Amino acid sequence: MKLNIDGLLVYFPYEYIYPEQYSYMLELKRTLDAKGHGVLEMPSGTGKTICLLSLIVAYQKAYPLEVTKLVYCSRTVPEIEKVVEELRKLMDYYAKQTEAKNDFLALALSSRKNLCIHPEVSALRFGKEVDGKCHSLTASYIRAQHRSNPSQPVCQFYEEFDAVGRQVPIPPGIYNLNDLKDFGRRKGWCPYFLARYAILHANIVVYSYHYLLDPKIADLVSKELAKKSVVVFDEAHNIDNVCIDSMSVNITRRTLDRCQTNVETLQNTISRIKETDAAKLQEEYRRLVEGLKEANVARETDMYLSNPVLPDDILQEAVPGSIRTAEHFVGFMKRFLEYLKARLRIHHVVQESTPQFLKDIYEKVCIDRKPLRFCAERLRSLLRTLEIADITDFSAITLISHFATLVSTYSKGFTIIIEPFEDRTPTIANPVLHFSCMDPSIAIKPVFGRFQSVIITSGTLSPLDIYPRILDFRPVTVASFTMTLARTCLCPLIVGRGNDQVAMTSKFETREDFAVIRNYGNLLLEMSAIVPDGIVAFFTSYIYMENIVASWYEQGILENIQRNKLIFIETQDAAETSMALEKYQEACENGRGAILLSVARGKVSEGIDFVHHYGRAVIMFGVPYVYTQSRILKARLEYLRDQFQIRENDFLTFDAMRHAAQCVGRAIRGKTDYGLMIFADKRYARADKRGKLPRWIQEHLTDGSLNLTIDETVQLGKQFLRQMAQPFRQEDQLGLSLLTLEQLQSEDMLQKIAQIAQQA
Amino acid sequence: MASLSEEVLLVVKRVRQRKQDGTLYLMAERLAWGPEGKDRFTVSHLYADIRCQKISPDGKAKIQLQLVLHTGESTTFHFANESTALKDRDVAKELLQQLLPKFKKKANKELEEKNRMLQEDPVLFQLYKDLVVSQVISAEEFWANRLSLNSVEHSLSNNNKQEVGISAAFLADIRPQTDGCNGLRYNLTTDIIESIFRTYPTVKQKYAENVPHNMTEKEFWTRFFQSHYFHRDRINTGLQDIFSECAKEDEKGLKSMVTQGVKNPMVDLLSLEDKTLDEGYGTATVPTTSNSSNKSLRENSNSAIIKRFNHHSAMVLAAGLRKRHQILTSLFVAFQVKLQEAIEYDDLQGDSGRKTISLNLKKSDRYSHGPIPLQSQHYSTSQDIINSISIIQHEMRSYKPRLTQVMSSSAASSAITALSPGGVLMQGGGQQTINQLVPTDVQSELKHLYTAAGELLRHFWSCFPISTPFLEEKLTGHLEEMLQAAYNKFQAWQTRRMMRKT
Repeated sequence: MKLNIDGLLVYFPYEYIYPEQYSYMLELKRTLDAKGHGVLEMPSGTGKTICLLSLIVAYQKAYPLEVTKLVYCSRTVPEIEKVVEELRKLMDYYAKQTEAKNDFLALALSSRKNLCIHPEVSALRFGKEVDGKCHSLTASYIRAQHRSNPSQPVCQFYEEFDAVGRQVPIPPGIYNLNDLKDFGRRKGWCPYFLARYAILHANIVVYSYHYLLDPKIADLVSKELAKKSVVVFDEAHNIDNVCIDSMSVNITRRTLDRCQTNVETLQNTISRIKETDAAKLQEEYRRLVEGLKEANVARETDMYLSNPVLPDDILQEAVPGSIRTAEHFVGFMKRFLEYLKARLRIHHVVQESTPQFLKDIYEKVCIDRKPLRFCAERLRSLLRTLEIADITDFSAITLISHFATLVSTYSKGFTIIIEPFEDRTPTIANPVLHFSCMDPSIAIKPVFGRFQSVIITSGTLSPLDIYPRILDFRPVTVASFTMTLARTCLCPLIVGRGNDQVAMTSKFETREDFAVIRNYGNLLLEMSAIVPDGIVAFFTSYIYMENIVASWYEQGILENIQRNKLIFIETQDAAETSMALEKYQEACENGRGAILLSVARGKVSEGIDFVHHYGRAVIMFGVPYVYTQSRILKARLEYLRDQFQIRENDFLTFDAMRHAAQCVGRAIRGKTDYGLMIFADKRYARADKRGKLPRWIQEHLTDGSLNLTIDETVQLGKQFLRQMAQPFRQEDQLGLSLLTLEQLQSEDMLQKIAQIAQQA
Repeated sequence: MASLSEEVLLVVKRVRQRKQDGTLYLMAERLAWGPEGKDRFTVSHLYADIRCQKISPDGKAKIQLQLVLHTGESTTFHFANESTALKDRDVAKELLQQLLPKFKKKANKELEEKNRMLQEDPVLFQLYKDLVVSQVISAEEFWANRLSLNSVEHSLSNNNKQEVGISAAFLADIRPQTDGCNGLRYNLTTDIIESIFRTYPTVKQKYAENVPHNMTEKEFWTRFFQSHYFHRDRINTGLQDIFSECAKEDEKGLKSMVTQGVKNPMVDLLSLEDKTLDEGYGTATVPTTSNSSNKSLRENSNSAIIKRFNHHSAMVLAAGLRKRHQILTSLFVAFQVKLQEAIEYDDLQGDSGRKTISLNLKKSDRYSHGPIPLQSQHYSTSQDIINSISIIQHEMRSYKPRLTQVMSSSAASSAITALSPGGVLMQGGGQQTINQLVPTDVQSELKHLYTAAGELLRHFWSCFPISTPFLEEKLTGHLEEMLQAAYNKFQAWQTRRMMRKT
């Protein structure tokens, strides 16, 4: 249908529309008009993606000078591919309606592992191997060597692309990962580099968060994206953790040992080159004097991880003299390494700020702040000069150099914690230096600063005001949309006690309590008897799940559950879990029914949907608080309190509730879907917890379902499931939660729609 | 019958059958028993005919061995030699145990199929009797035509018969009972054993290897329940445990399943992330390298339980789907389909093409014609009837006999006799059908002859067009003979009937 969104003609590739979708597009339009950032929460399964795509594409078509590009970031590879498919649907609709030829170029970008078509390289299993092998065939000096010595193997796909691929623009169209590969095969071009090149002039780019948020990659890939782009972060409820992860470094004794070997290799290579080709080193020296600003034409394929520091000012300066020659630099790295080794030789926990660390390093080994800042850049230059083919071997020294640069660049927002051993095993020495980022805004700041509109959206962003605070930006729109429903297809229940009236909770003091474990077991057993097909249960942590499963086994509860359903359990091994997941789906598919025991914050809870019969009930055992004893977390909480005035408890509860909401939200993927959401902990009933759940779940939480016993839960659940199993037709929805164009245009419907969005 | 050139594998003397002493012979292909003092066998069963053997429970006074045949009959042997009876029986049992499976595989699947068809279809059975038993047509020829005709239909119906799955809790169902003296008693049924074998092929293999050479069945299961294998929370350490190998095998199986990877990329957690953080980055605690050493025993056993549960569930699931059709769509297509499914909003689409299931009709004519509607008949309404009655009444009232035109009494009586049953005019009347005239036995005989002849004719016509020399030979050779035979048979029957009639 064709929609009029606040004066903008929007093609929407369906015949019907959900009221909240209309409302969502209105808010989105306002955000784009204001050229500002937005935070939008809308339940999953209400078609966020198509709204975003429809509106932004329409906007691009209407105002081609205002918005030149859409950068759509999602989290997982299947998500990325889904987005591109939806986009294809939209573009097909455009083509059908306007009968004009599509002039949009949209493509997905992924890592080499998903795009490589080189027969040998693409056969490798791990991303890192693919990257390394690719590099050893495409690095600039390898190709230079190939010119003089044709027996040196190179990648013919890259050569072909380099020869002609840049002159001929890729024809407009929608390119998913497989389309890119097909196109690459037809032309004989490398799809990965083609995609990386094409994103510069593409209208729509879909890729993963890391390409924007991880400064090491962002600098390589996304540096030249236009300012007039709209950036969308979908499924952004965890965006702060992605930011923090990309800026944090851990150094173990093993890292240092490997770094030591790297330094020795470097030293040997340098002395060897000095004998044979001293001019090369001279040339590098000259370049470094001139500064780092020199244009790097060959940088595209030289994937020495780029500088993790974002400020450009550093690139204006020349590398300080003390590390300019290769030998001096290696000597410098040696000294730094020895210092780190000495720091790891401790018997008690040390926590210090970055200035303290810099002061200490100056006093102990006379290393200044300035050369440290240039470490990463200097190492990169050296590796290139020495023509090291396989840089994966040098990951340890690269890590150390990044650490050096980061620690000397940021005086705030980071903390250094050195732990001599793990808390659980105090007898085994395993010293780790955590250089931990506490401020997610550091990594995302350049994104907000550079692009005119950044949209942060997800099904669970409640409470909405916290994201602008922890990411430190000022949004123009903050809104939460509820799901209009013709029938209440979600049924959140809070189970607070067992049939024996013993309180159910995963609180630390009582979680090992026999009665609690038994009651949890009974809940699962009872549910397994009444819920058809699939049940997914989430625990607060992996260790807790292991313990509970063991005691359920001893008590014979699992045996009884097996009478009703098959049991699959997430393990710490991803491959094993994938298999369990597939079998779980198979068991749901063939009608046997199954239970999947999983962990909140685990991979399953983050990336897998349990649509329809794959998840008719989700049980959340306990409140998924993060492990609060960790020093890194404590430091972060302290930082949040000092910098953003966010109280520790508020943040912890917020974090726990967003994960809980993520877990239970996995079961509902649309209005025709239905599922029970069982929160098995009495603490959920408290206002401070409940209030932090997304609005679309809170709405359906009645006062009567706040502190149920297992029996009551079973009764309510039975009734709900029986009701939901009745046929649900389109006519039932029409006019309420599903609108035709005429219905949408009616006056009172528009009034109703205005109420859907709740401004925070 | 008793050709003594056969290889005799075992001779057991003093075995009673039907209260008669005799000797039991186990030969290469059959089992036989002859009464004492006679040199011929009164009992002889091919191994292929034997469905199973049963033995009397230990501790019973009579030591017996029962053979159950495929036909359902059974023969019981009583081992009567007091001193060695038990041993004799066990020797015989174990030899049979080894022999029977060999022949079981041989036992023709087709034979069972034919048997089933004959049992299900009495008409076919009669036809078989008429044509094959009376040697009008050879059995092969009879079936050659039949099986091909029915195979499609039957294979369909066979496949539709679902294999019964396995309860996931079958191990839990073996409730141990205390026997009162610090022991446990497990009750095993054949169902449970079958479940165990199907779920854990390694146990089956062990069973085949060890029973009966190394240990008895009972011992095997005792060991099974004692093993660490059964109690899945233990980490198996005992090397003398025969099941430790099973556990290893299982581990291997699990590993191979894991390395095979998953077919559905949407659930592949390994390739979910586009770009994983390099080693050393991130805030997540680094997993320690030497994981087994600093994990406590308890943790190890916990994760063992979890592994075992996953494995168990996977095996139970696989056992239920053993004969699943491998639909070999390419990975790529499967992924595309999944992707399309994932972005589909069926309620937003207008006329979402409802996925329909096509009707699978075995006899489409029956469907399209349906039950034949009744022929339209002329019904008289009740008003008509009332009217006519009143007219008749009216006429009767005004009835006056015209005596001058009355028939003579003799003519009238002869007319009555002619019209009463058995009279001249009543013979061959359309009302009396043939089935009232002809006695049922004659009818059924005629029917059999008719179907037999029909079957032969079907054979005859199925030979056209004559495309192979075999068909030609069949046509000119024995089919002609057969038709002749059938004709003769019919003639014979006819004359017999005539004879009887006269």
